[in-house]
Amino acid sequence: MKPPRWADRLLEIFVAPHLREDVQGDLHEVFYKQLEQNGLVKARRAFIWAVLHYLQPYFFKRKPSDHPKPSHTAMIRNYFQIALRNLERKKSYTLINVSGLALGMACGILIFMLISYHLSFDNFHANADRIYRFVTEQHRETVSYRPNVPNPFGKVFRNDYTFGEKVARIASSNDVLISLKTGGEIRKFKEDAGVAFAETDFFDIFNYPLLQGDFKTVLREPNTAILTERMARKYFGDQNPINQTFHLDNKVQFRITGILKDLPVHTDRKTEIFLSYNTLRQYDEWMASDESWGGMNSAMQCFVRLKPGVSPAQVEEVLPAYVKKYRPTNKNVHHYKLQPLADIHFNPRYGGAISKSNLWVLACIGFFLIVTACINFINLATAQALNRSKEVGVRKVLGSFRGQLFWQFIAETGLITTLAIFLAFVTAWLLLPSVNDWFQVQISLNPLDDWRLALFLPALAVVVTFFAGSYPGLILAGFQPVVALKGKLSQQHIGGFNTRRTLIVGQFAISQALLIGMIVITDQMRYSTQSDLGFNKEAVVMLPIAPDTKPISLKTVKHQLAQIPGVKTVSVCQSAPASNYNVWNTSPQYDNRSEDELFSVSVKAADEQYIPMFDLKLVAGRNLFPADSAREFVVNETFTKKLGLKSPQEVIGKTLSLNKGQTTGPIVGVVGDFHDRSFHEDINAVCIMSASDLYGSYAVKIDGTTVKPTLAALEKTWSDLHPDQLYEYEFLDEHIANFYKTEDLMLRLIQTFAALAVFIGGLGLYGLVSFMAAQKTKEIGIRKVLGSSIGQILWIFGKEFSRLILIAFAVAAPVAYYGMNAWLNHFTFHIDVSVGVFATAIASTFLIAFLTVGFKSMKAAGMNPVKALRSE
Amino acid sequence: MRRSFLGEFEEIVLLVVAACPAEAYGVTIWEEVQQQTGRSITMSAVHATLYRLEEKGFLSSQMGGATAERGGRRKRFFALTQAGVRALNDIQEVRTRLWQAIPPGKFQLIEPL
Repeated sequence: MKPPRWADRLLEIFVAPHLREDVQGDLHEVFYKQLEQNGLVKARRAFIWAVLHYLQPYFFKRKPSDHPKPSHTAMIRNYFQIALRNLERKKSYTLINVSGLALGMACGILIFMLISYHLSFDNFHANADRIYRFVTEQHRETVSYRPNVPNPFGKVFRNDYTFGEKVARIASSNDVLISLKTGGEIRKFKEDAGVAFAETDFFDIFNYPLLQGDFKTVLREPNTAILTERMARKYFGDQNPINQTFHLDNKVQFRITGILKDLPVHTDRKTEIFLSYNTLRQYDEWMASDESWGGMNSAMQCFVRLKPGVSPAQVEEVLPAYVKKYRPTNKNVHHYKLQPLADIHFNPRYGGAISKSNLWVLACIGFFLIVTACINFINLATAQALNRSKEVGVRKVLGSFRGQLFWQFIAETGLITTLAIFLAFVTAWLLLPSVNDWFQVQISLNPLDDWRLALFLPALAVVVTFFAGSYPGLILAGFQPVVALKGKLSQQHIGGFNTRRTLIVGQFAISQALLIGMIVITDQMRYSTQSDLGFNKEAVVMLPIAPDTKPISLKTVKHQLAQIPGVKTVSVCQSAPASNYNVWNTSPQYDNRSEDELFSVSVKAADEQYIPMFDLKLVAGRNLFPADSAREFVVNETFTKKLGLKSPQEVIGKTLSLNKGQTTGPIVGVVGDFHDRSFHEDINAVCIMSASDLYGSYAVKIDGTTVKPTLAALEKTWSDLHPDQLYEYEFLDEHIANFYKTEDLMLRLIQTFAALAVFIGGLGLYGLVSFMAAQKTKEIGIRKVLGSSIGQILWIFGKEFSRLILIAFAVAAPVAYYGMNAWLNHFTFHIDVSVGVFATAIASTFLIAFLTVGFKSMKAAGMNPVKALRSE
Repeated sequence: MRRSFLGEFEEIVLLVVAACPAEAYGVTIWEEVQQQTGRSITMSAVHATLYRLEEKGFLSSQMGGATAERGGRRKRFFALTQAGVRALNDIQEVRTRLWQAIPPGKFQLIEPL
């Protein structure tokens, strides 16, 4: 007959000891009374009810004892307080430490985001491990890799073999014109991402859900389309997009039957408009043809999801049969392969965005930046350790353990790191738009949304805290209390001077190598864009020729454009002298030689204005006569050289035959060589001829002084003549600058990293000099007393850092020389790495170093020697 | 020292302790309070009030000897302190003064509902 055991225990645990006995006693007394009066059940219930009422703070609160035991947080609070005071006292030290760490970590965060962004690509499809893309290796003299297969491939594979659970072809078309006709008004949209004709199984293989419509029905009928929610909103606003129609390139009409959920950013499919595959025939007959095994277009891709248990090797075994069957004699031997979905984003060979090895390089750079920032922190912190010796001594005498002192310093570092990571996040957030722009990515920085980032930030803070804080912590904790209190501690007790020197050399070697790289790339870029290309690219605007323009109206447009004041000349042509699109390469047959030549010739269709307008130099013969079709040719000097002729004069009047004799005529002139491609490539053999069916652009030479009004007039005239087309223009020099987009990105990256490396190296050097200044205080004092001048004392520091920089340079220069030569070899036309580059690099390093350490060493040298010596 | 005021319940508990003929401890006080006020009150409320009054200095307490009926646990006996007596007197005084200040005949003016 006892009160409930658990309630009793609860009471004992909860109620403070000094109240426990009588409270419990009273409750028990009442319980036994109730037991007699009301029986067990009621008594127990009343007891429990009463006990529950004691669960309140008043009874829980323990009585303060006369000898208060400090709470567990008291010491930690003290650590943070001391840390805050220290940071506040040494503002410059704090600033350098925090900014160095923050910068390193900001890069770390951005690189982490970039890597995690890329690694998350296309990982959301069901059975992704069984999805493959068919790709082609083309074996000629060299092997080239294409991310596509001939157009009918997917169809025959699906019919012939049972390996694939689903096979889907998708034919995309970029830079298309979408026009919407609502009432009398036409709205036009240029879609860079383009459209894709997709077989319905495409959406079975890939996981892009529909918001409206059903995959059982959409994209089955001809002339139907589905588009993403975003596109639908762009075109139709709030209207219901279903059953609305649009035109593609003013050619084919489509009706919308479904709406896709917006595509996630981390997919390699950028197309947002999908069209029924059976409409492809109306748009591009060759692409849709079942016979077109002869050529390939990278717009036609083919995906497969293999049946479970089928290995890609099994499939690749049967594919050579297609080559035998459909391309038995072709010199360009195709090898068809399967590329796993997981490889698509990372294989640059087949147009992948970024290779895994590049991601690794980035990860290493990020790691390196964080490590150096930590090392600088360690350097500065150990240099500062002496100032803390008194504090450490007192703490030890009062009973601190080594462990406690160690944790004290870790807490201090933790504070700095927390501050730094906050700053780093803000910095990363500010830099994000440019990073997204440079790398063509869409990263967002939101730790609430992204669990990886949410884990990464605190993990980074903890790792950095321990990495940067451990060594100085151990040093501080290891001081002998007596020595520390007597102030007899010297830098000898801290040590590690040579390790520090090595680190500085490493940092400076890297920053100098980057500086050299930066200078070389800048020079090469200037060379590529500013040197003489063999033609005049200034003040030329390229306008497109509207599709399906008849030769007659072509002349009208040209004539009208030429009338505009400010326009000097207009030439109709296939493409500009230097261009990476609209180039047709074919094998020429020369004179009465029986076989086609082995080299190919770049055909540049253009009218008679072309050669004078671009200042191409005629070295033999004459310019073309005005004509609509190819009657005669002008070739370049490379052409004559490749034919094996000694003088350009020899080709004049000889017959040239292109395209298996379909175009034949005499060669009437030879022009001097010009760069028809980027500087990466050799100058090709070129032939210029008139062929109105090949023309793609109006090249307009304008007056450089009245650019704006002329451009406006050009737009007006062109748009008036082509009301259903969208006007676009491009300056030729901008187009040429675009050849070097990758190099431009590389330049910006290397500039960023060089700046970072220099900054971090500078911090390291600053740390070293503060360390030296602290170490040599006495020495400087004695030297000054014995009559050293400030200059001589400065040289103590100067000697040190000059030596380090020179050693670093000796390491960096050969590495940079080798690396930059390898890089320059990507260019057929390139500059040479000159001595001047190295001189500039080392001079600027010295300047930076001087600016960094100058102030600190001046301060050390200018110090009153009495102060330094009296502390003995 | 800042003077502590007594709440209504505290006053009742203090009065009950004062009025107790024998030695007052938790259970007796609890029973007495319920009886006197006719309210149902939890023991914890009485305990909390007693301890609070002790902290304020109106009550003092003393542990009694070991007992048999409650598992050997001792009782805590409460007694009024000087301050407690004074506080009760103060209250009584204020009340009396106010009662005397009521104009004669005022209560008769208020009509019963």
